[in-house]
Amino acid sequence: MEFLNLVVILVTGYLVLRKPHKERLAFGLLVFSVLFMVFLFSVATRTGLLPGVNY
Amino acid sequence: MRRQLLYSILALAVLALAVVPIGVAVFVLGFAYGDSPCVMCWEQRIGMALVALIGLFVIRYGPKPKYIGLAVLVAIWGVFMGIRHTGMHAARDVGQGFSAEILGAHTYTWALLIYWVAVALMGLLLMMTNKEDIEERPRPLGALGTLAGVVFLVVIAANVVQAFASTGPPPFMGQGDPVRFSFSPKHWVWSLEEWSPAPISLRGRWSIDKPGVDGLPGGPGPIANAPTATMLREAKIGFQLAGTPTDLAYDAASSQFLITTEHGVYLADDTLSKVNRYTVVDAGYSVDLGRFAGAAFLDKGAVLAVGENKSFVVLQPTDKADANANFKYFLESFDRFDEKARSRFGTVRARMMYIMSAAYDPASNSVYTVTVPNNKVKRLVVSRFDRADMTLSEEFTPTLAADAGLTLAGKQTLNDFYVTGATIADGNMYAISAAFSTLLTIDLRAREVTAARAVPGVVRPVGLAARQDELHILGEDGRVWVVAR
Repeated sequence: MEFLNLVVILVTGYLVLRKPHKERLAFGLLVFSVLFMVFLFSVATRTGLLPGVNY
Repeated sequence: MRRQLLYSILALAVLALAVVPIGVAVFVLGFAYGDSPCVMCWEQRIGMALVALIGLFVIRYGPKPKYIGLAVLVAIWGVFMGIRHTGMHAARDVGQGFSAEILGAHTYTWALLIYWVAVALMGLLLMMTNKEDIEERPRPLGALGTLAGVVFLVVIAANVVQAFASTGPPPFMGQGDPVRFSFSPKHWVWSLEEWSPAPISLRGRWSIDKPGVDGLPGGPGPIANAPTATMLREAKIGFQLAGTPTDLAYDAASSQFLITTEHGVYLADDTLSKVNRYTVVDAGYSVDLGRFAGAAFLDKGAVLAVGENKSFVVLQPTDKADANANFKYFLESFDRFDEKARSRFGTVRARMMYIMSAAYDPASNSVYTVTVPNNKVKRLVVSRFDRADMTLSEEFTPTLAADAGLTLAGKQTLNDFYVTGATIADGNMYAISAAFSTLLTIDLRAREVTAARAVPGVVRPVGLAARQDELHILGEDGRVWVVAR
């Protein structure tokens, strides 16, 4: 899944550099990538979503 | 001029972010040294890539609020990821951790700093930004911006390669313990372990219920053939306590009982009819003492009160206490004790468990505590702390002595006992379990349970004291049951 997210980031970076007129598409991909990162981190830490320290 | 300076600073920041943490991680740690990020490291790295990418957005389209806002959100999520990840290893012994170190600190701890710097830098750039800096249409990147963009793409492309080898295509996902990186497909491990069903929790293994004597099981306990203790008499505390009692101890030298309540410390005569002195400790000063759960007389008349969280206070009875100086330690009766120490017992095996008892052994000059099971961990652990430095010196899980003639019932074990009171006499620890109302005898040298006796009629015991050949069991309602030792 990290592979997929990095591919999306690579495509988004390419759009910003080489196809700047596709700003809306680039921003959409950027938001998707951010949410995807949050989702994957949450999946990985679902058994203890908060930092595993003394409370 | 100012605007150009801003874009140049931003381009340098994107370049630095792409080269130093992300580029070094993939080219040096990954490709050169074979380091593979774990699943959390991957997300932290991706978060940094996203902050850099948003920097490119700003260089290209200007500092639009949606870009700055998103960058701040990603960076604070990154700080959270850094804390979450560092928290897993922060309390380990010096030098211990996970995976590679950079400049003496493990990689995941650097994420905290990098995201924090990113937030700080964005705040600075925002302060330097004016309304007219918002661009209507895409602007040329310039030489520095183009360099930052190209380097970013190269670094991300390298990460795509590493991610494909280390984590695989969807639905495969990063792993908790990844194997080292290799360009050879023969060594690639693609895993679905992170998708396996698991309970969702906020605090995970740290979500532990507070101890107490409510709802504990009664009836026959883990030891099938425990004889019944000889009940000598039943009494009741003859004075009023502020709150319910939490433990009991006895000192033969001064012929006094020690009783604790939630935060109260009482010294009473040996008939438990009169209070000789008392105080109420300010449990919130300096150390969170929690609710007192254990009490013991130490050397030289000093008394110990231990909280259920293993924080403790040592008090010395005196008639010369300075009431004004003691204001910070006590809430009542300021001139009857001096505070000698206030700190915390640290444990290893008992770390994730509360305690409800404490005892002092003059022979070894040590304090003992015994754990109570909880919703996460069920284990009977006896911990010994040397009185000289109040530091953990021994820890063990007692077993049933082979020659005790006792047998375990069904699937129950000694870990099912819920010790709420303990005392030490003649090298043995006596422990009362509120679950199954059972009195245990633990040989501290052999680390074995050598005897177990049922004590029917004892209700919600919270304390235990040895007085001559008697054991005094204190109930939460102030009743005292005296059995032969």
